[in-house]
Amino acid sequence: MHEIITTYEPDNSLKKGYLSIFIEIFNELKKNRWLTYQLFKRDFLTVYKQSFIGSFWALILPLISVFTFIILNHAGIFSIGDINAPYPIYAMLGMAFWQLFSAGLLASSNALVAAGTMLTKINFSKKSLVIASMGRPFVSFLIQFVLVALLFVYYGMMPSIAIFFIPIVIVPILLLTIGLGFILSLVNGVVRDIGNILGVVLTFLMFLTPVLYAKPTVGILALFSNYNPLYYLVSAPRDLVLTGRSSELNGFFVTSIISIIIFIACLIIFHMTETRVAERI
Amino acid sequence: MNEDIAIKVEHVSKKYCKSLKRSMLYGVQDIGRNMVGLYSRSDRLRKKEFWAINDVSFEVRRGETLGIIGPNGAGKSTLLKMLNGIFWPDRGKITVRGRVGALIEVGAGFHPLLTGRENIYVNAAILGMTKKEVDEKFDDIVKFAEIGDFIDSPVKFYSSGMYVRLGFAIAVHCEPDILLVDEILAVGDIDFQNKCLNKIAEIQENASIIIISHNMNTIKLMCDRCLFLYKGTQIKLDNVSEILNIYSKTIFKIYDKKKYRSKHIDIEILDEKNLVTNYLIVNKKYHFKFTIKQLFINKGLLISFSFLNLTNSYNQRLEIKKFSHLINMINNLSFNIFFKNLSLPPGEYTIRIAVSDGDFLKRILYIERTIFFSVMEAKNNKFLNYVIN
Repeated sequence: MHEIITTYEPDNSLKKGYLSIFIEIFNELKKNRWLTYQLFKRDFLTVYKQSFIGSFWALILPLISVFTFIILNHAGIFSIGDINAPYPIYAMLGMAFWQLFSAGLLASSNALVAAGTMLTKINFSKKSLVIASMGRPFVSFLIQFVLVALLFVYYGMMPSIAIFFIPIVIVPILLLTIGLGFILSLVNGVVRDIGNILGVVLTFLMFLTPVLYAKPTVGILALFSNYNPLYYLVSAPRDLVLTGRSSELNGFFVTSIISIIIFIACLIIFHMTETRVAERI
Repeated sequence: MNEDIAIKVEHVSKKYCKSLKRSMLYGVQDIGRNMVGLYSRSDRLRKKEFWAINDVSFEVRRGETLGIIGPNGAGKSTLLKMLNGIFWPDRGKITVRGRVGALIEVGAGFHPLLTGRENIYVNAAILGMTKKEVDEKFDDIVKFAEIGDFIDSPVKFYSSGMYVRLGFAIAVHCEPDILLVDEILAVGDIDFQNKCLNKIAEIQENASIIIISHNMNTIKLMCDRCLFLYKGTQIKLDNVSEILNIYSKTIFKIYDKKKYRSKHIDIEILDEKNLVTNYLIVNKKYHFKFTIKQLFINKGLLISFSFLNLTNSYNQRLEIKKFSHLINMINNLSFNIFFKNLSLPPGEYTIRIAVSDGDFLKRILYIERTIFFSVMEAKNNKFLNYVIN
């Protein structure tokens, strides 16, 4: 018999054992690649269909943040610190990586709630829904990178050859975002407060993380940055693009491993609990 | 599992929580227990929880069609959603063999801004089709849905008929091994409904189907066997005619217990000895006594009532124009309708009443279900001794 036999019973995953969960998750993700793409397309097309400037909305928020910091710096209110490149390039690059995390987390944490009653009418892979919601922030990231490329041309600079490693060095921040997105989308499904809190928390975090300024050498922010995984995930890729080397590579590797662990743990938790949440959406 | 069995449901139960805040708390508890590797102990009820489905077991063979009937709140949709894997049982075990397609709500995944073409691809993917399958069946789907040029317009510009036709067309082209249908066969106009039924019959040849319906004719037409649910409990699983028989008698008993009361109209059935009864025997003499207690009439009183059979569409309608001269307030108006020999086919009936002003134009009072009565053959005097608790 080639037909698939599916069983549903309480505490299914506990009875099957943890090892089989990995195989199940892998098979599900593999089988649903096309579904994930279609959900991404749905998400992407619908947001920009009734809008004139479409995808370029992705540039508005980072540009405003960067301009604000340029003005604050000029006015002498805030010191950007010691940086190794023209500030607009430095800031836009930082924002591109940061937005991948913050916009990604906002989108993925809202993925299940946004699907709404669809979840209680059709049985389909909810993992695809969360992963697909990362698509739009990813496209925004690419658009921001185009702007960075234009800035490089404007300043007559060349990025480091290490720019070709970008697809690899953004993997940890992507995994961390999707991992946390899995959990937050579940929690948001049960308790709606998460969606409201998250926007505030992320804005707060952006100012605490050296994204738009260099890491201070002394003070509470310096101390906080040492233990802030996002600092390493943003600054190491940025340094690689700008100079080809980074002083924070050790921190980056440690954070990457932590991100992978978080991703796997969150994926397993999501897998075990997704049906329970479907009842409560 | 026996290779002949497509669906096996073993002692399945499902509980729901009545309170939203508690359901959130319980959700967090259950998830928390699972995460640390503990069983969720879902087999016992906590405060404010109740069994929406309680200890249901059945099997569906390949190529067999099973109907599920029961009054509102019987747990039919919950059961179907469990078979589809949307909800998981809290007790028992469900085993399904093959690909499951569900017609629970047509067009559930449609996005209003996307065109028909885009929605077909997205919706088909959600329903579990592969890209190759959709490419192959795309033209069939469009043709079946009779969408025509609108295929490249956003579905928010579709008429509601086009919307459901497209949703249905996608769903039935999935070629599932098991098809779950929740009361949605009646979409679109008569021609399209006919087309849907033919398509389901075509699917029936290779697949197992489970149909939920309140329309007993659909059940009779499509199903091999039928399951009767009442308040989450499995009353009986048997062949269709037997179940419809029991269903009719059960509904009759439930309503008979409730006792019909209205401040406008009383109805009584009296036999030869002038005793009130609602167990009637074919070809005997009865009279139906109607009393209008209080009603204000402008243009004259018209009354119509129908005998409605509970399981088929048998419907006997009578109009009374005798009181068309009456106006203003009507108090305690009684009239009798005599049947020398009552010739309704055996079964359970209710009486529908409509009271109108003037020429049946303005309806003053309409009651779909008033009293219930049962009609039996003369020989078979025993009413099914059958109890629901």
